[in-house]
Amino acid sequence: MAVPKLEQLSKSVVQGPSLATGAVPTKDWMDVPAIFKPGNYAYPAKQEKVEYLNSQKDLHFPNAREWSPEDDDWKLPEGWQDIILKGLKERLDKFRSLKIFMDCCVRCGACADKCHFFLGTGDPKNMPVLRAELLRSVYRNEFTIGGKILGKMAGGREMTVGVLKEWFMYSYQCTECRRCSVFCPYGIDTAEVTMMLRELLHLVGVGINWILEPASNSNRTGNHMGLQPHTFKDNVDFLADDVENLTGIKINHSFNRKGAEVLFITPSADVFAEPGLYTAMGYLLLFEHIGLDYTWSTYASEGGNFGLFTNNELMKKLNGKMYAEAKRLGVKYIIGGECGHMWRVVHQYMDTMNGPADFLEVPKSSITGTTFNNAASTKMVHISEFTADLIKNGKLKLDKSRNAHVKATFHDSCNPARAMGLIDEPRYILDHVLDNWVEMPENTIREQTFCCGSGTGLNTDEIMELRMRSGLPRANAVKHVIDKHDVNTLSCVCAIDRATLTSLMNYWNPGCNVCGVSELVGNALVMDGENRQELDEGLRTLV
Amino acid sequence: MKLDEAFRNHREKIVDRWVDYTLSTYESSSFFKKEKDKFANPVGGNIREGLDSLFGLLARNADPQEFVAPLEQIMRIRAIQEFAASVAVGPIHAVKHITREVLEKDKERRHLVADLYDFEFAVDLAVLAAFDLYMQCRERLYQVRIQEIKTGNYILTDSKCPSNLLKTNIQESLKAVESH
Repeated sequence: MAVPKLEQLSKSVVQGPSLATGAVPTKDWMDVPAIFKPGNYAYPAKQEKVEYLNSQKDLHFPNAREWSPEDDDWKLPEGWQDIILKGLKERLDKFRSLKIFMDCCVRCGACADKCHFFLGTGDPKNMPVLRAELLRSVYRNEFTIGGKILGKMAGGREMTVGVLKEWFMYSYQCTECRRCSVFCPYGIDTAEVTMMLRELLHLVGVGINWILEPASNSNRTGNHMGLQPHTFKDNVDFLADDVENLTGIKINHSFNRKGAEVLFITPSADVFAEPGLYTAMGYLLLFEHIGLDYTWSTYASEGGNFGLFTNNELMKKLNGKMYAEAKRLGVKYIIGGECGHMWRVVHQYMDTMNGPADFLEVPKSSITGTTFNNAASTKMVHISEFTADLIKNGKLKLDKSRNAHVKATFHDSCNPARAMGLIDEPRYILDHVLDNWVEMPENTIREQTFCCGSGTGLNTDEIMELRMRSGLPRANAVKHVIDKHDVNTLSCVCAIDRATLTSLMNYWNPGCNVCGVSELVGNALVMDGENRQELDEGLRTLV
Repeated sequence: MKLDEAFRNHREKIVDRWVDYTLSTYESSSFFKKEKDKFANPVGGNIREGLDSLFGLLARNADPQEFVAPLEQIMRIRAIQEFAASVAVGPIHAVKHITREVLEKDKERRHLVADLYDFEFAVDLAVLAAFDLYMQCRERLYQVRIQEIKTGNYILTDSKCPSNLLKTNIQESLKAVESH
């Protein structure tokens, strides 16, 4: 009697308008189409933004048009298959890594359950191996003998509109966080497969606005926000005023100053949006504390590089801007703020795109005398490396009790952790500015850190549900330390994290603040001549 | 008290089947069922933990207020996945049928099926609570979206920043000049 009822319940449960089938998939993955509906895709790029980018020197963003993922007809240009296949061939010839990644996967499945998108959705096409297979299947069909002869039997398939739609769906359900590649025995960087998918899609005018608009803003005014120089300067000035109101310390900062020792570049979100503002106030206090000879730039006013999320030409151009400005100002080296993907670009791609930056000097801290040989080629030092070195050499006066309101944990931002190995420096800083802070579980931190779920330009509100799903593994680990240790603050070293983790916490763990490590440094600094108010919440205190 | 004993004896079996049933609503569910580490497998781990704790409460006829914590652990996840409301909540029901089936197969305790009324009523209450929680989560999701827009994270596009306003103003005044 009971069994038929359960079956009936299953039927009503599984036949709802849902992706869930309630059963072992009955179709081959190749036969399951990508279906777009509100909430599961990011809005396509505005035509004018694509046209603008395409009009710029060294950039190629053809086939701008109005289109919608929900329409059957994406108004693809004539001969679009040839454009894609030619683009793929060019990239296979240009990037040896891509050729290797296409050929060497043995489908062992080590990566399959490591992706936060898979863990949050249960959608098999979010297994990194299968996401890569979306491209690999076309590669096999067109560029391998076995695939050409045997087609589907050899895992090949033709490039169809359905395949293209699948590419769009799943290359934008990947944050290029590279957690999967940590587990790949062959070292396949699935993030680079996603990068190639996105590059190919741009060739036929398929891209998303939340990436291309900031990228075009950055190309135009130097930062994602589209802030013009005077506005950027005003914002930093406002922050300096706030610091003065809170601490009584007048900040001596400068803009576009030729001959400064250091050029400081950080994501523009730090000077414009909460909670990054407090991190920027931390930078201002730190540099004031040590009397660093540095300058901001209103042209290289963005550390972030949305080119990384589009194609290598745009990435190169936006990265080049920082170095062009360093050259123009005649600085010795660059200090970079708390950013995620800026560091991936600098650490992994800058050297072959725009480097080596021979016109700069190997970074040497004038305060401690330390030479940062790890940055000998890129000439760019991470603020956490720089700060940790100051602490180690006893150059900072710190009072941990000023962070008494904070019980923190630390989120390793994907790019600094996995793309540049910046793992211990932020922890060393936390040890010196906080009385106590705790780690999240071992398999969710350091190299194995889980992504915030909204990187690579997916931090847009129309896909909020998707972001909450992909951020589940991270939020789940944070919840554990909240429940176990009463953690109230999630610290990190990435501007995108500061924005995305705030929303993620608001859904999963309300009441948990998000902050930058430099904000905590700013809170703890004891400044000479200060006239500090009672700052119960550090730099966030409203006075 | 015999029913209590039956629940104790069969708890593991019932919860296992309940978890299995719930996780079957995911398209690729074998990993969710297999991996026991809650941090490597947040969906499977939380659902297992939540259902196990909920079963304990249902079996001892606990105050329905106590259902909220384990249900929230489950519903917060299912509310943002691609499920219709009925699919998100539905598996909570399943424990009624699973429990009956398990007891019926136990010759010594088959007669206890007739005493399941209170247990099943508690499940009904849990389902209703699950639906409330589902709605709360959906509302929270929309609040998060609104908050994000209000706090300015969206300013990367359609920026309201002064320089963008300046741009609009200039264009508007240009149009005004042209039209004169």
